[in-house]
Amino acid sequence: MGVTPIRPGQLAGVSLGRRAATPIIEIEHVSQVFKTSSRRDHTALSDISLTVGEGAFVSILGPSGCGKSTLLYIVGGFVSPTSGTAKMKGKPITGPGPDRGPVFQEFALFPWKSVLGNVMYGPLQQGMKPAKAEALARTLLAMVGLTGFEKFYPKELSGGMKQRVALARTLAYGPEVLLMDEPFGALDAHTRTRLQNDLLEIWERDRKTVLFVTHSVEEAVFLSDKVVMMSRSPGRIREVIDIDLPRPRRREELLLDPNYQRYIVEIERMFDASGDNELPS
Amino acid sequence: MNGLLKPLAPVLACCGLLLAWQLASLGLKNDSFPTALESLRAIPPILTDKESLINILASLRRMAIGFGLALAFSIPLGLLMGRSRATAAFFNPLLMLIYPVPKAALMPIIMLWLGVGDISKTLVIFLGVSLPVIYHSFEGAKAVEEKMLWSGAAMGLSPGERLLRIVLPAALPEILTGCRTGLVLALITMVTSEMIARQSGAGNILFNALDMGQYDTVFAMIIIVGAMGICLDAAFEIVRRWLVRWSEPQFDMPLSFS
Ligand SMILES: Nc1ncnc2c1ncn2[C@@H]1O[C@H](COP(=O)(O)OP(=O)(O)OP(=O)(O)O)[C@@H](O)[C@H]1O
Ligand SMILES: [Mg+2]
Repeated sequence: MGVTPIRPGQLAGVSLGRRAATPIIEIEHVSQVFKTSSRRDHTALSDISLTVGEGAFVSILGPSGCGKSTLLYIVGGFVSPTSGTAKMKGKPITGPGPDRGPVFQEFALFPWKSVLGNVMYGPLQQGMKPAKAEALARTLLAMVGLTGFEKFYPKELSGGMKQRVALARTLAYGPEVLLMDEPFGALDAHTRTRLQNDLLEIWERDRKTVLFVTHSVEEAVFLSDKVVMMSRSPGRIREVIDIDLPRPRRREELLLDPNYQRYIVEIERMFDASGDNELPS
Repeated sequence: MNGLLKPLAPVLACCGLLLAWQLASLGLKNDSFPTALESLRAIPPILTDKESLINILASLRRMAIGFGLALAFSIPLGLLMGRSRATAAFFNPLLMLIYPVPKAALMPIIMLWLGVGDISKTLVIFLGVSLPVIYHSFEGAKAVEEKMLWSGAAMGLSPGERLLRIVLPAALPEILTGCRTGLVLALITMVTSEMIARQSGAGNILFNALDMGQYDTVFAMIIIVGAMGICLDAAFEIVRRWLVRWSEPQFDMPLSFS
């Protein structure tokens, strides 16, 4: 009955981003081995190859500890892989840069700066005039629903609010690629839904490339063009799934869309079959 | 009632201490232990005497210079050590050697080389203040969350900018804790250095009075130096709390005297 939109069995390493052929991020045979305190080597990532097309929204889904964050750090240039290379626009990534904007799982806000100061930090660093940077910061804060909290310090915010400031702070300096590490993990269901909608709206407008780590199958399917499923010990890509749902996506419509439901069920089934996961969150 | 009592508590404690002193010295009737009242009465003459004031101001000036130079040197060094393993590996053994040596014990050698003047005394203060400030800056810089530095790097901050604009503010609460210890040590080393190299200063007045058996002046000077310490510490604490208002819990903490 109907077409099955999922094409499982796609091998890791095939090109991602169906409409944009131009690759923006190329991960080639990347492995990451950590020395642990017990002096044993721990392979966090094993031979990962992945190409992300320009403007694609790609989610990385996988059990805790499978190396999702590590992969993001490698693309960000914060960690250099033990072997293999990651490239941005054809150039090997040697370090961080404003073309790739991270939103960390731990927020990492600057506690000595107010909410406004945090969001203005990047634009000011790039030489934007203070008045303009402030206007931009206020717009972004309004977008993430934090109007009225501009003068607050991070310690005065809840976890979810911090997360939203972190998102606004990264968007403020206009990176070409967003590297988001479970950005909505700490949010209540309502805020989470709202921010997913907002993010989708921004993305559909700017078509920034997004690498999005999440624990939530539903979130991954709702947002993404591609879902990369990873498995643990060692961290590998198990499956890459195209999400062939129409855009612009609206939650109300998707929830009634049997294809959307089918993607979610299929992906959850795949994880259940592997038995190495704590999905979904 | 409780709200009124709180700010009065330190005053009450001081009064209690003075009362105990008064009673003890009345009971002991010892020449070298003047009563609290006699000692307090000896304070105004010292503070109105031009010579004494010049001495005390000279002490304070040396202390300020020694303290300031120590901060200017120790904070950058501590931060660098906290963020660069090579720097830490180089300086740590050196500091471990210097750490247990009482800085005043170096005074004779320093006097031998640099004389009994301001330079020697300022240097001893500098040494006394440096170690806690280096240590706390080091610990503060080491504890800076890596993701914060990464965020800065992604925004395009160079390593130098990250040290100045991320590590320094992030470590500021810890640095200022070190500075506060350093301030008290500055006062201690100041008096000690003047005790060894008697030439000018508050310590000089104190020990001259001791030699001449003017015990009320001795005790008056102890009160003056102590009060200086308390005031400096309290003033520093106000500045500190303002500087790190972003990091501390909101509820009020009593003014503390160390
Ligand atoms: N600096 C490090 N040193 C040693 N091992 C590390 C280090 N960073 C990560 N690891 C290990 O690498 C593996 C992957 O970690 P990573 O943080 O990338 O997982 P994750 O998929 O993001 O997990 P989560 O969903 O819980 O955030 C884990 O087993 C972890 O123990
Ligand atoms: Mg993670």
